[in-house]
Amino acid sequence: MTKTITALMATALLVLSAGFAHAAGDAKSGSSYPKQKVVYHINTNDEKVLKAALGNIQNHINAVGKDNIDLKVVMHGDGVDLLKMANTNPDMQSKILNLKSQKVEFEVCNNTLVGRKINYKNDLFDVSQKDIVPSGVAELAKLQQEGYVYIKP
Amino acid sequence: MSNEQQFSDEYLNSFVDNELTIEEKSRVYITINQDETLNRRVCELRKMHDVVQLAYKNLPQPPGRPLPKKSSRLRHGAAAGLVFALGVLFSWLQLSDSTSTLHRDFGRTANSLVKRGIAMVSPSTLAPTTPDNPSSHVLADADPQVMKVLFHLSSGKPEHIKEVLDDAESLLQLYEKQKQPARVEIITNGQGLNLLLADRSPFPERVRQMQMRYSNLKFAACQNTMDKYSDLGIETRLLPDIMVIDSGVAQIIRLQQQGWVYIQV
Repeated sequence: MTKTITALMATALLVLSAGFAHAAGDAKSGSSYPKQKVVYHINTNDEKVLKAALGNIQNHINAVGKDNIDLKVVMHGDGVDLLKMANTNPDMQSKILNLKSQKVEFEVCNNTLVGRKINYKNDLFDVSQKDIVPSGVAELAKLQQEGYVYIKP
Repeated sequence: MSNEQQFSDEYLNSFVDNELTIEEKSRVYITINQDETLNRRVCELRKMHDVVQLAYKNLPQPPGRPLPKKSSRLRHGAAAGLVFALGVLFSWLQLSDSTSTLHRDFGRTANSLVKRGIAMVSPSTLAPTTPDNPSSHVLADADPQVMKVLFHLSSGKPEHIKEVLDDAESLLQLYEKQKQPARVEIITNGQGLNLLLADRSPFPERVRQMQMRYSNLKFAACQNTMDKYSDLGIETRLLPDIMVIDSGVAQIIRLQQQGWVYIQV
């Protein structure tokens, strides 16, 4: 009797671990999801939310596979503060650079830059002309029309 | 045998009360389409049925139950929706006869219910169920050139409320400058409803100005939230020209299904 139970438990364990291994393999190769286009919307300067957002994005890429996802981050209003904070925060810097190396694009709203007199070269972390979009909100609308899925962390 | 005799009043009453099986119902539908007199009989019965239903719903509440507004309004909305949907169904079946009295009457009943404010569901909410609805809402929705953007406001913080107004306005200005046809809807639920409440809005004048300035901008208030507020004893009088929708969340889903893009503030 005990033997049977042990055998059963062993089998169950084997099946379970095989399942996990399978899932992990899928996540690595990204084969469990069809290709995704995603836009993350950031308009808050709540540090907790911003840190969580960077974590969410990395987890999202891990789950789908970096070659299997086209991911953009659109920042406007208070959300631009993400790159302001990063200027003085090495941990945030490395997270952002790491995401960029996985082809994540960080887009900054020009209306916000003008309205708040932000000099993107000095005040923001690693922003160049190609990262500036005329209007963050209009960009969000445009991207969704192009098939990007909207996520608000 | 003429159809007049084919269906007894009792049978037609069962039809109106939705007590027949699907086969029986479809037999009545088909016959109605071929028989104008039967058409009228069913229509009269249906009207009577609705009047009786409404009369029941409008019975004065016994003392101690001061909440007649909430659920009955929803039920009326549902009833009107049902009548409307039936009207549409008939008009659909009535392919060859566009002057169907039945359809006209049903349509009129539904419209008058809506006009009398019994159904607090906006025509645009009903539109998705009406493939032949000729309203501009549907036509504009079908046009891919029109940019359709919905802003979702569920926060009552003044800075968030200000932000949604700023964002919507700058977007409307941009589209205007680009000559890009657009429609914008600001959907409020939860604490976000505060924006549209006459007694609580931090920016009533700004809402009015934006309404006047942009004909393609709509503000919507969630009925569910209003009911909740009423239960808490909070006054839910809205600013002028605010669209009331049955549920903010449902409206957000509906619009996205129709190609609207979503932006949360």
